Amino acid sequence: MKPTIAIDNAYIESWKQKGGKVVGTVCCHIPEEIIHAAGMLPVRIRGTECTDDRDGELWMTDYACGFCRACLQNLISGKYHFLDGIVVSDGCMFVQRLYDNWKVIGNTKCKVNLNVPRNHDHLAVRYFVDELKILKEEMEKLSGREITDEALNASIDLYNETRALIRELFSLTKGEHPLVSGTETLQWTIKAMSMPKEIYNQELKAFIEEAKGREPITGYGARLMMIGSAVDDPDYVHIFEEHGGLIVTDYNCYGTRYLWQDVTRKEGETPLESIARSYLEKLTCPRMTDLHDEMYEDMLRLAKEFDVDGIVYVRLKNCCLWGGESVFFYDRFKEDGYPVLTLEKEEITTNAGQVGVRAEAFVEMLEGGTD
Amino acid sequence: MNDTKTNEIHEVDLLPDVHKEVVNMYNHMKAKHPDRLWMAQLQMDHWNDICTAHERGKKLILTSTNTPAELIYAFDAVPFVPETLIMRYANSDKTFKYLDLADQYVSHQLCSINRGQIGYYLSGDLKMKPDAVLSTVTPCDSSRVAYTAASKILGVPSFCLDTPYRQDERGYRYIGEQIKEACKFLEEVTGNKLDWDRFREILERGNEAARLLTACSKLRQITPCPLPGSLLVLNEMVGGMMGSQGAVDFLQAEYDYGVRNVKAGRGVTPGKEQFRVIWLQNMLWNNAGIVGWMEKAFNAVLVMDGFGYEGYQVIDTSSEDSIFLGLGQRTLNSPMVHGASGPAEPWIKMVDRMIGEYKVNVAMFAGHVGCKHTWAASKLVKDYIYEKYGLPTLTFDEDGIDIRYQTADQIKATITEYMETLIANQKKQG
Repeated sequence: MKPTIAIDNAYIESWKQKGGKVVGTVCCHIPEEIIHAAGMLPVRIRGTECTDDRDGELWMTDYACGFCRACLQNLISGKYHFLDGIVVSDGCMFVQRLYDNWKVIGNTKCKVNLNVPRNHDHLAVRYFVDELKILKEEMEKLSGREITDEALNASIDLYNETRALIRELFSLTKGEHPLVSGTETLQWTIKAMSMPKEIYNQELKAFIEEAKGREPITGYGARLMMIGSAVDDPDYVHIFEEHGGLIVTDYNCYGTRYLWQDVTRKEGETPLESIARSYLEKLTCPRMTDLHDEMYEDMLRLAKEFDVDGIVYVRLKNCCLWGGESVFFYDRFKEDGYPVLTLEKEEITTNAGQVGVRAEAFVEMLEGGTD
Repeated sequence: MNDTKTNEIHEVDLLPDVHKEVVNMYNHMKAKHPDRLWMAQLQMDHWNDICTAHERGKKLILTSTNTPAELIYAFDAVPFVPETLIMRYANSDKTFKYLDLADQYVSHQLCSINRGQIGYYLSGDLKMKPDAVLSTVTPCDSSRVAYTAASKILGVPSFCLDTPYRQDERGYRYIGEQIKEACKFLEEVTGNKLDWDRFREILERGNEAARLLTACSKLRQITPCPLPGSLLVLNEMVGGMMGSQGAVDFLQAEYDYGVRNVKAGRGVTPGKEQFRVIWLQNMLWNNAGIVGWMEKAFNAVLVMDGFGYEGYQVIDTSSEDSIFLGLGQRTLNSPMVHGASGPAEPWIKMVDRMIGEYKVNVAMFAGHVGCKHTWAASKLVKDYIYEKYGLPTLTFDEDGIDIRYQTADQIKATITEYMETLIANQKKQG
């Protein structure tokens, strides 16, 4: 497999050399469009490349999820030395604590804690608009540039183009003879969060064209959908694909859930209102208290659309949101005819062999089931 | 839920079961310790109200401790905080089957308070089914799962107040607006209209309880502390009863008891009070006796904890606007939410105030393993305490519900080791 884009990569280096500012984001409920409209480069913080999270563990303890510990470790160890600012939501308890700890120990100049509602009704949208106004002001201060409605609209258009391209990328996994693997799709969505979208869109377009001329992938035993907590490590997905599975779609905030549903515009809305409403409506994470049924229906729709044989449900240890979501879907997936494999994961994978054994057994079971 | 998961357990009817236990406890207290009957009375009032709600033609509303109970009373309905049920059973093996059942559906790392609740709903043992769920999104990710699960599994309507962690007027108003919407929800569920005169009357009773809680807290600042640490555990029940006469009567009795002790110069330790302890966050619900043991073994009294500190503000009932604003504020400043469940900074400030006001010389972090967000900020808090006050915080893990995690004796051994070191150091320093 090709290597995944590095955290500190040539695109960022080039951006910084030109005097550009970079803002790290934690949680995909942070509208990157606002950062982009200020002329800055948003990059999503990830835990990949972390092989020892002892400082993250020191501050957050091992009762925190390993993903957030690794993200904090990467911040502490200087992997994100290029950041001019960081925006962290209260997406879940540990993302909030990542912010709290980094606020005290971190050297990033601009630190913003965005309060994202957990409902998506009209009151929540109104509240979120006010939060986004605060974020906008902070980004204007950091960039020294006013964020106009025109700039926001242009950013929304650019990001919607990325979303359309990502949807097209995933469409290449459909059908009897898929052209791309789940490892590759995750590498591409991670790339989207690690470089300027203007360049990314061009590169992804070129890749999609190239992939259309590829020989289809054959020889896999089962088409799988990976759902659950943040999986930002393509190597983890690769374990399943080495053992007879093919991850054809996912419900992962580093995969399809990063940029999938468009920011839509309704008549009379300002760009910030469109962003606020669209981000609260988007189906991403069980943090939203009033979207559990919609999320299930959406996962089911994807499972059907991508002709999935089984569901791989990955929950990070200590992730209570995805760790609890199963109470809403276990029985429903069964009733709808989709077997589920539940795996508990740490961010730093030290049990690839055992995960492989579980993956292989699941694929064999699914193959037996279809015979 | 279907029954494909293994569930080889005999059926019980939870609410009548707990009611019977409370009646027995009450009768025992009446016979043996009539002077302390007011403590049992609170629990009698609480469970009587819940267990007879349907008989009395009232709707039973499953709710969280930080949802304004006054609102539910105002619609002539009865609030039922399921945490009180699991806490009631916390020191018994009755809890295990519900925790184990929930583990078949959700991650074991969810807080056991919430896993226990989910187990209740899945088991079908909650035969007296609540009529609706009115909750908030606080305090944690586990609770967000549990309250939604209640509605889905029990098949009852729900309303969830989104409580942001922004403790400012914008945050309070946002909640206040949602509480107005919740009124419409309660109207539909109960079939009753909001009677503003009755609502004000209930709110004033809630205010009386809030004033008494503050007064009791002030008494705890006196040396020797006139109130035992165990009452802090009981005070936690008051949140789900704000606006009831039972809560006022209990707190008045607690206050009177404290005043009598102050007048007599009486503390709660057998010898001279040596140590004034705070717990940074939760209580040991299944091992509350440890608080009394610390008093006897080390003359160490738990003077305050981060759970109940400054729990409730008085609500200005002069206008509809001030009421909704006040309810919004109270929701965000209720126990557990005001401290450790949001950003760490308010928690640190709160602990700082507690240490100063209560003349604390021992800090303990009895870290409930399910309360993972408190663990993830605990170093910030403990570092602050050490740097400002020179107090090293005793840290230990426990599960406040599941006694299989750590026994009382194990916890006592940990505390003993720490206290003996403190005492030895005191002796060295003369």
